[in-house]
Amino acid sequence: MYKKFKKHLTYYLSLILVLSLGFILIFISSPNIIMQSAILLLTVFFYVLWGTLHHHLNHELTAKIMIEYVLIGLLGTSIIFFFIMGGLI
Amino acid sequence: MKNFLHHFFLPHIKNNYRPKLLQHKVLFVLTLFFFSSGFLMHYVRNNYPAVLGTFSDISNQQLLILTNEKRQESGLGPLSLNQTLSQAAANKATDMFSKDYWAHIAPDGTTPWVFIKSSGYNYVYAGENLARGYSSAPDVVSAWMASSEHRKNMLSSNYSDVGFSVSTGKLSGEDTVLVVEMLGSTYLASAPVAKEENKPAQEVVTADKPVAAQEKLVLLPTLTPTPLPTQAPQVNTLGVQKDNSLNKLATINNGSVGSVKPLVNGLSLSLVTARGVVSLIIFILILDMVIIERKKIVRFVGHNLDHVFFFALMFFILLILARGVII
Repeated sequence: MYKKFKKHLTYYLSLILVLSLGFILIFISSPNIIMQSAILLLTVFFYVLWGTLHHHLNHELTAKIMIEYVLIGLLGTSIIFFFIMGGLI
Repeated sequence: MKNFLHHFFLPHIKNNYRPKLLQHKVLFVLTLFFFSSGFLMHYVRNNYPAVLGTFSDISNQQLLILTNEKRQESGLGPLSLNQTLSQAAANKATDMFSKDYWAHIAPDGTTPWVFIKSSGYNYVYAGENLARGYSSAPDVVSAWMASSEHRKNMLSSNYSDVGFSVSTGKLSGEDTVLVVEMLGSTYLASAPVAKEENKPAQEVVTADKPVAAQEKLVLLPTLTPTPLPTQAPQVNTLGVQKDNSLNKLATINNGSVGSVKPLVNGLSLSLVTARGVVSLIIFILILDMVIIERKKIVRFVGHNLDHVFFFALMFFILLILARGVII
């Protein structure tokens, strides 16, 4: 795990940076739920893009991997959507 | 059962070294489930509020006790629950819901002091604390105490009275529990010797800077003695809304009447479910990563660590969305 992290250090650091930026922006825009949702979608988009781009650059991108990133992104979005619709608005 | 759990949560030869939970089909089904459940819960909350709704257990009495506990710890005298200030707080809450704003000063420039004065409370000092999205009184008081401005308001020796309003309604399209705390002291309260006499009234000098939640000295004594205006007759502020049109916008709890407790609290249910699922996915991803690493199995899948970071972000976003806000 550590080896993998070290091997793709730049990628992981940039990913953490993107996700942290999304988190900070969502935190700052609280309690504006519309703005928070927009930032969330943007963060998810960058997450999927970052993941697929990284695999593409490492010559290991397959349709399966791409679908996995899209599905993970959608699942995360759907869970937040579930919370917002079910409890907030 | 054991085999099912093993198959669902752990990587092994029968699931092609990828837990069923992390396989595309299951991820897709889970995504559909959460999207459709979100719509369903939203529909039930809007159409059957007695079944699924927003509710908080915050009461005026709890807020008063906790506030006075904090004051006592700081060596200050207790505040008295004032019905006129509670009415002012309820009016402020209704105004916020009807005009859809989240601020001390309304978009049309109405200050909190207007609500206090119009309720018939002739103050020397007045202050206001606001909170939204909290589900318990200790959380509200703790949040106010953690903020220096709000803390200053709560622990000010200038105040002798307090009024609260706890309301549920829609603010910026969001179902929320709104807590308004109005603090104040009348001339009589701040100068006890004047109680039996017709002491001078005060001239209004509004502070220039309308800083939210700060203790405000809004009245200064004048040299001209004029009789004190008669206090407006007190009305029952607990759970009563005079304007029926405003009643539709918000439910004023005030700790006793006017609130219907739903069978299930939608906020708690959705939050517990969402947090639980996110935590489970993070756990399974880490477990999968460790097992595959130890067995040195080569797979062509995405990096689990990416997904762990991503779901950790989702977990923190849930914390942000669920947390209360004070101003």
